[in-house]
Amino acid sequence: MLTALKVTTPTDLQIVMTRSFDAPRRMVWDAMTKPELMQKWMFMPPGWKWATCENDLRVGGKFRLAWNGPDGRLALTIWGENKEVTPHSRIVHTERMEMGPGAGDCGGGEEGCAEPWEVLETLELTEKDGKTTLRLMLEFPSKEARDGALASGMDQGMEAGYAQLDAMLAGMR
Amino acid sequence: MLRQLTDSERNLTELAAPLKMSFPAASKHFRVLEKAKLVRRRVVGRTHLCRIEGKPLEQANQWLEGYREVWERNFLRLDALLDQMKAEERDKKDTTH
Repeated sequence: MLTALKVTTPTDLQIVMTRSFDAPRRMVWDAMTKPELMQKWMFMPPGWKWATCENDLRVGGKFRLAWNGPDGRLALTIWGENKEVTPHSRIVHTERMEMGPGAGDCGGGEEGCAEPWEVLETLELTEKDGKTTLRLMLEFPSKEARDGALASGMDQGMEAGYAQLDAMLAGMR
Repeated sequence: MLRQLTDSERNLTELAAPLKMSFPAASKHFRVLEKAKLVRRRVVGRTHLCRIEGKPLEQANQWLEGYREVWERNFLRLDALLDQMKAEERDKKDTTH
């Protein structure tokens, strides 16, 4: 049985996502950790293009993801360090992000705008009957940081276009 | 824009500045949020003070749903990629037999 994406907030500092996929976990693992595969599905607002996608999947290894906006300028950079790596099963990494001038209405500004906090992410994959369940836990240093990340979903819907935001809001009612 | 309103009331100029948006663009952006009942404004003299609309719980639910939508769009693309990976693996098996 496949389950839809569930987002919960067990504490004031956390966001937890669970979802299942109709594929063995070694495939989900590859899709989530190998740059050539990550680039095929990860976060991609309309008009944005990948600028950098690197992931050194070793303990202490760094990762860096970056996108250019429609005007070709840097829009968003996400980077961090892999702290724990158990192949096909579990990754713990730190993550920071910075918006750049190419993000347009979404924010950033000419100088770029880095979030001053670091998020701790724990990814866990379990497999049953050839299907994989993903659990992704994000831990923030403060409730303000956590709420800001949640609210950003609305801003991203906005950035994807007003029509899409309308559709999104219609779906919520 | 919503992010800036999580902690306090602000006027439109203050909202537009860190987003590097023109005042009219910020105003349009705000009007869409207003129509969606995500924010409201009160007018004090010539200043329009903006804040997040609704009870904290409703707000939190809307944020959660918005956040979920963004991630679900990613995961739908991941579903498609996994289907493709499975098909490629099947093809490989077929040709080796």
